[in-house]
Amino acid sequence: MEERTNLAQEFKKGIIDQNPLMKLMVGLCSALAVSNRVENGIFLGIAATFVIFFSNIIIATIRKRIPDQVRIPIFIVVIASFVTIVDLSMKAYFPAVYDRLGVWIPLIVVNCMILARAEGFAYKNSILRSALDGLGIGMGYTLVLLVMGIIRELLGTGKIVLFEKTIITLGPVNPPLIFVMFPGAFLTFGCLMAILNMYEMRKKE
Amino acid sequence: MNEAYRFFLLFLGALLVYNIILIRFIALCPFMGVSTQVETSIGMAMSVLFVMTMATSVSWISWNYILKPLGVGEFLYIPVFILIIASLVQFVEMVIKKISPPLYRAMGIYLPLITTNCAVLAAATEAVKPGFLKLNIAYHFSLPEAIIYTIGVALGFGLVIVMFACIRERLETSPVPHSFRGAPIGFIVAALLSLAFMGFANLLGL
Repeated sequence: MEERTNLAQEFKKGIIDQNPLMKLMVGLCSALAVSNRVENGIFLGIAATFVIFFSNIIIATIRKRIPDQVRIPIFIVVIASFVTIVDLSMKAYFPAVYDRLGVWIPLIVVNCMILARAEGFAYKNSILRSALDGLGIGMGYTLVLLVMGIIRELLGTGKIVLFEKTIITLGPVNPPLIFVMFPGAFLTFGCLMAILNMYEMRKKE
Repeated sequence: MNEAYRFFLLFLGALLVYNIILIRFIALCPFMGVSTQVETSIGMAMSVLFVMTMATSVSWISWNYILKPLGVGEFLYIPVFILIIASLVQFVEMVIKKISPPLYRAMGIYLPLITTNCAVLAAATEAVKPGFLKLNIAYHFSLPEAIIYTIGVALGFGLVIVMFACIRERLETSPVPHSFRGAPIGFIVAALLSLAFMGFANLLGL
């Protein structure tokens, strides 16, 4: 029984307690850059979750055979292989999205979030735990991307467009374009972090 | 357009108009992590300039003379570029340690961090592989152009990181609401800086 709650814990911690973006502050670059549209967030979130899930599994599988001195290059090669899979399949099936995400797909390789999980978790834990951890961290990352995407797209353009269908509109308003542009990302993220801080301070008291 | 003017545009575009941190959000982790003191951020900026220029040159050569002629570039470029960067960083670290210990003491601690600095991979990919760069005059770069572009990117990184460190040193002593302390106010400041850099948009038709 205890074993099972522990496993659930591995999955859950990535979403709030150790959220990669809000708490660990890793993988920020891609999150801020692509969260101007909900759609971009979904695709990058799925891509990163895929990479972190499989690279965690592979690294946990071979962890006993990896010599300590060259572990970083080995991690990077494993990660880079999965990123190449994502890179080529996204280019083939979703060329429009690939074009918009641009350099961010190859940059998943150097997303510190994935390397940090490989080094900090998968290298020391069993396959099952690493898989769950990867899934949880990936979900936490995607969740923040979605929240940021919804806030920014809704405020910045007045509507949310998903797969070429308009889902929500704010009506005939003149939206502040700044939110879909660069400063909006910093602003939204800073405020989200402050809100989370405030919530935690309240909880402590 | 003559050659010198093109070089100037490329440099300016990479430095200000498409500033790597504030306009394109690449390399935010070192931006937030290292920029607490002016001195450390200057060290970081110097090491990035050094590694980035070398990484782009080697990547350019390997792409144009090895990967492309063999026809394997499309699916091997990510592992190859990142391995070039990782081994280059190791190599540079060893060389500096041997040749100039004072420089090593100043730069040494940042070097391992640079491997995962996405700016290096981003600059190498954009300068070498066509189709990633959104700059108006971008096309297939020659080696000198790739290097000029990379130096622009690296100096843009240095400029912003040093500027931000100066602001952050001031922030330490200013009265900030409790929940905004630390990283959140950093992001708000970055938003204002980014707003200022948006003023460079369309400069000289870039």
